[in-house]
Amino acid sequence: MLAQSARNSGYVGSTVCKACHPDVWVNFNKNPHFKSIAAGNKPGPDTGCESCHGPGGAHVAAHGGKATIVAFSELKPAQVLDNCLRCHAQTISRANIRRSSHTLNDVVCTDCHSIHKATVPKFLLAKRQVELCYTCHADVRAQFSMPFKHRVNEGFMTCTDCHNPHGAFAPTWRTADRPRMVDQDVNEEPCLKCHAEKRGPFVYEHPPVRIEGCEMCHYPHGSVNSRLLRRPVVFTLCLECHNGAGNFGRQGKGDPLTAATHSMTDPRYRNCTNCHVRVHGSNADPLFLR
Amino acid sequence: MRRTAILLAFPLLTAAVCAQETVAPTPDTVGPARGDNVSDYNVVNTFETGVRFFSVGGSLPEYRSNVNYGNGVRLLSSDLTINSKDGHGKYFDEIVLTTQGLGNDPYESATLRIQKNKLYRYDMVWRLNDYVNPGLVTGGADGLHAMDTRYTLQDHDLTLFPQSKIKFFLGYTHSSQGGPAISTVQLFDTNGNPYPVFANVRRSWNGYRVGNEIEFFGIKLNWMRGWEDFKEDTPFASAGTGPVSSFTRQEPYHGTSPYWRVALFADKKLVSFNGRFTYTAGQRGFLLDETALGTSAGTGINRQIVTSGTARRPVATGNATVSFFPTSKLSIVNHTSIYNVRTEGDSTFSQFDNATQSFTYLSFQYLGIRTVANETDVNYQFLPQLGVYAGYDYSSRRIRSIVSADIPFYDQTNKVNSGVLGFRIRPVKPLTIILNGEIGRDSRPFAPKSDGNYHDLGARAEYRHKSLLLSAYAKSDYNTNAVSFSAFASRSRTYSANASWTPREWLSFDVGYTKLHLYTVGGIAYFVDLNLVPGEQSLYFSNLHTGTAGVRFSMGRRADLYVAYSRVQDTGDGRSTPDGPGIGSSLPAFQAAQTFPVLFQSPLARFSFKLSERVRWNVGYQYYGYREDFDRTLGYRANTGYTSILWSF
Repeated sequence: MLAQSARNSGYVGSTVCKACHPDVWVNFNKNPHFKSIAAGNKPGPDTGCESCHGPGGAHVAAHGGKATIVAFSELKPAQVLDNCLRCHAQTISRANIRRSSHTLNDVVCTDCHSIHKATVPKFLLAKRQVELCYTCHADVRAQFSMPFKHRVNEGFMTCTDCHNPHGAFAPTWRTADRPRMVDQDVNEEPCLKCHAEKRGPFVYEHPPVRIEGCEMCHYPHGSVNSRLLRRPVVFTLCLECHNGAGNFGRQGKGDPLTAATHSMTDPRYRNCTNCHVRVHGSNADPLFLR
Repeated sequence: MRRTAILLAFPLLTAAVCAQETVAPTPDTVGPARGDNVSDYNVVNTFETGVRFFSVGGSLPEYRSNVNYGNGVRLLSSDLTINSKDGHGKYFDEIVLTTQGLGNDPYESATLRIQKNKLYRYDMVWRLNDYVNPGLVTGGADGLHAMDTRYTLQDHDLTLFPQSKIKFFLGYTHSSQGGPAISTVQLFDTNGNPYPVFANVRRSWNGYRVGNEIEFFGIKLNWMRGWEDFKEDTPFASAGTGPVSSFTRQEPYHGTSPYWRVALFADKKLVSFNGRFTYTAGQRGFLLDETALGTSAGTGINRQIVTSGTARRPVATGNATVSFFPTSKLSIVNHTSIYNVRTEGDSTFSQFDNATQSFTYLSFQYLGIRTVANETDVNYQFLPQLGVYAGYDYSSRRIRSIVSADIPFYDQTNKVNSGVLGFRIRPVKPLTIILNGEIGRDSRPFAPKSDGNYHDLGARAEYRHKSLLLSAYAKSDYNTNAVSFSAFASRSRTYSANASWTPREWLSFDVGYTKLHLYTVGGIAYFVDLNLVPGEQSLYFSNLHTGTAGVRFSMGRRADLYVAYSRVQDTGDGRSTPDGPGIGSSLPAFQAAQTFPVLFQSPLARFSFKLSERVRWNVGYQYYGYREDFDRTLGYRANTGYTSILWSF
């Protein structure tokens, strides 16, 4: 009954496809989409080749041709996205895909995923993840080539440890929806997934850590400076905020100046974190000394 | 059949073109692409075992901090996939196991997926990172040491009934950090100079989660309940060395962050909706018990400090996204988010000083942040060759603060208005041009370096035709915060150009160049001999040139040669010594910190020979050279290499 109904609407079944596309079929049992065929009880539009490529009746009758089938190489980016999201829309990791920077810039599913020629079986990636991302993000590739960096090229980390390539929720740090593609650890910055000791809560928080995020002082990808810092030395990094100027800071009176005893001609006062060791937050000292 | 082989080989070939940054493991493949049939399963299995070797001249600790590949036998990589032929395996339908660096590489990992259609899916990731933890003093001279700090991370996720309308999720995460690292203890020698104390760090955190997903009437409800526990009990002890004759600190922490996450999805032809709510009740109990005897900063000390208390940080977020698709060319997406966090605790906590026999009651510093943001994006495809998107974001962030009982409660709000505009141009099919810009105005930036008045401009062009990929990218970011006597401004520009080309099946090229230019000016005020020096500027110039080049050459389908070179050089502002041109600040130390010329380069070569259908022999060499122009003591020259057998069975 199901088969009869499918044939009437132009669906011919995947076994017909393999006659002309043996190269695709030969490994299709390894493809996650094979589950729909293995289930054996799905209607034509939801199973096998035709669930993505549409009914194949006309294609068979015309002895092939891209005009008679849904050929992804011929689709516009938005059509590719719509096609895939028909099944893959309703998951939390893709909740923001319509507003993601990738979608807005026409980077859609088939730019990263290769359904029939995947190099990486998990998630059907066209290439190893880092290589995939570097294809467009050459500037980020340069950052991960720095002497100090998170170990992405070395295989310890992947881009998706911190980023959601399908779009992320509005960040809970900074404002103005910047950055757009950084994932969250439930509702905090993803850095804290690994650097949990900096998560707090602390009795004495260093407010910029919570309000502006780790990037206030660190480059997240890589840096020529030790500890991924934005400056080669600590004291300029600290003093550029702690200058007492304007109405900045948690009390609106400018970020506090250093103590008058801290003579900057004395080298020991230029190593701020040698004494202010708990710069990410302290439970014992408001000046982060302990 | 030949066509099939080429189709399977092509993505592997192009994959190897890009981003081979480390010489090993070997990315080349061996064995039959389709694997072997065993009973009702198809098996593809490869292992690469070999020996690494290295020698370092210069700063070994710096090398171990940055690179850290060592000597010895390794299981450099392995890949195993087992798939049922018909999707009806008895216990499983798929196993995918991938490992890297097992056997003492500094970067080890293993990922595993096991699943049986309709019934379950299990995912595991295990990772380890060994590195020398540099000291908190940048420049590292005081902080580098000879032993590794070790991070391990593992995640386990089990999904029951993954293809049904009712799914269940169970998950466990465990991570730990151990080994010597710079501690958060500071002691002082007889001259009052601080020196760092090392400790054997003991930190671990565990996460447990359970959840469920239900689909009804086309709406999906997903919820998850989780618990994340963190503990640290690093002991610090020092006896009989240095001016402090006895020092002990017990500082156990225990933090817990139980959370809820609830999400709802509905996806229809003309409109889709999703919402998410999270709540985390973060809490951390702490105790600090410190005893110090001896001399610190030239004066005798007999100090015991005991501090204890509980800190709480409840965090709530809400997100709602509505997408409209009035026509096939137009989509309108609105995203609203609310974020609320308060850091608070017991109203006071006590600190006992043994030397003075006194208690000090200290107040918690309350910090509350509440952000409400709304963003609307419109995406319209005018023509097949031209698409446009525009977005407007409004954020309102309220920050409330109590520093101490004698300082009044402080409340401030900053509002940000920002807009984005972008164009997608595809004049011919292989060529894509993206132009975009963003502008934002913050009514009250929190810190001088926060985004204040900023704008970004970006352009990207990409040409893809068969096996040729050409791309170019340019971006500029400007940010300015002006205040009464000082100003912070940053200006960064990035230019990048890349080319990948595989003219023949046996030959491929990959070349890339990126320039990252950064110039910042920040107002500073500091003290010299108790006198305030106001109105000076901290300048920072960085001109980073990075280049990569790689060539792959295959000989007669048996041998592969890969040669690559990576170079990172910050030329700074062009000076050859730390002495500055006398601008920004009168203090030489500030002028010396205005730029940081450095060179990091790494050529590599790898030769891989196919001994038989199932065995490859590989040998490779990679050089790492690091040089700081102003301080040569931290430079190193490392020769690393490996030889291995890659086999499939």
